[in-house]
Amino acid sequence: MQHGIGRFTVGFVVLVLVGAAGGTPRGNGVSFEPASLRSRDPLLFAGDRTDGLPLTAVLRRSDSAEYVSFVYGDCVPDDDAGCAPPVEIQVWPACRRHLALYDSSSGPDLERLTVRGVPGAVLDSGTRLELQTGRSTIVVFAESRQRLSRIAAELRPLDSRTASGVPLPQPAPGAVEGRLPC
Amino acid sequence: MARFVLTLAVVAALVVPVAPALAHFDATDRYTHNACPATVSNRADPVNVVFRGWGTWGRAASQLEAHAGWSSTTGSIQSFVDHGGCAPMHAQRASGLGARFHVRFRGQHQDAALGWVAVAGAHHEDLVLFPRPCGHAVDSNGPGGSGFDQGRNELERAFASAGHATSRLWWGNTQSFKQCDGDYAASDGWTVVVALHQVNH
Repeated sequence: MQHGIGRFTVGFVVLVLVGAAGGTPRGNGVSFEPASLRSRDPLLFAGDRTDGLPLTAVLRRSDSAEYVSFVYGDCVPDDDAGCAPPVEIQVWPACRRHLALYDSSSGPDLERLTVRGVPGAVLDSGTRLELQTGRSTIVVFAESRQRLSRIAAELRPLDSRTASGVPLPQPAPGAVEGRLPC
Repeated sequence: MARFVLTLAVVAALVVPVAPALAHFDATDRYTHNACPATVSNRADPVNVVFRGWGTWGRAASQLEAHAGWSSTTGSIQSFVDHGGCAPMHAQRASGLGARFHVRFRGQHQDAALGWVAVAGAHHEDLVLFPRPCGHAVDSNGPGGSGFDQGRNELERAFASAGHATSRLWWGNTQSFKQCDGDYAASDGWTVVVALHQVNH
């Protein structure tokens, strides 16, 4: 069941997000960005379409998890079982999610790499990419490593129509190590 | 003759079975699946519980019944991955039939450090009757966390209250899942590890 205001229609959300990305909450007084993302980095997403898939939902969490999520494409859940949309991009504050969280020996295997000039990692057998840029951690879920690469190339600020493919801002000092305060 | 004996010894060493080493706990796939073979597109739920120590799936189910009272065995079948193999779950338990806590279990390879291991996907879900009856849907993300987080937290609370050691691991398996009521739910990325004892209740 729906709780709170976690999900918005896409058209409304883009309006709100464009405002929120500039640090000014808009739309029924709703502040869309989690507090620790606000007034820091511009939100990154992959545009209205990416890799042939339309932007279908924008989600927000600010509880035990904290992110804005851009869902691309759709899936049909079965009765009694959920389904995974083809592509999802989550933007977390680096103080809540960062690569150092995987340093535990019991954590998942990861392959560290550099994408668009910033540190990142591929996990889940090439179906998850995490990048650290500025004070944010960008998490991309997709079916293949090739699709992850294409989507990573498309990442751009929410209020920009271009800028995809260029190097991303370097992580803030301490962001990768998890030393940023929230 | 000596050469023949040596050859025989080498061949024997290759074919005579020896006690297998303990396989490591495989956490490369941190989701359940609606079918096998497991693919990204048939992921269903995040795995958010690991039972260790005497963590066989039977003990996990039994001790959960004892500590949380989740005794219903109703629910759909999902599958888990272990060392590249996909196989249906071993058991499931739920706290009721309508809005309820629900968890699916599968035993995994024994691990040298963790002992017997079972993994599980826990959640809280509602029975959806309107506008189209579609069975259970995991609670969407909200102030108390998603249904996945609520289920994990309740399970953790029940075991911790009964004296079981618990801890948490960051897995980051936060992919969102669309539910049959149209909402989305995702784990917050934390997995609880619960130590089980040998004797059931």
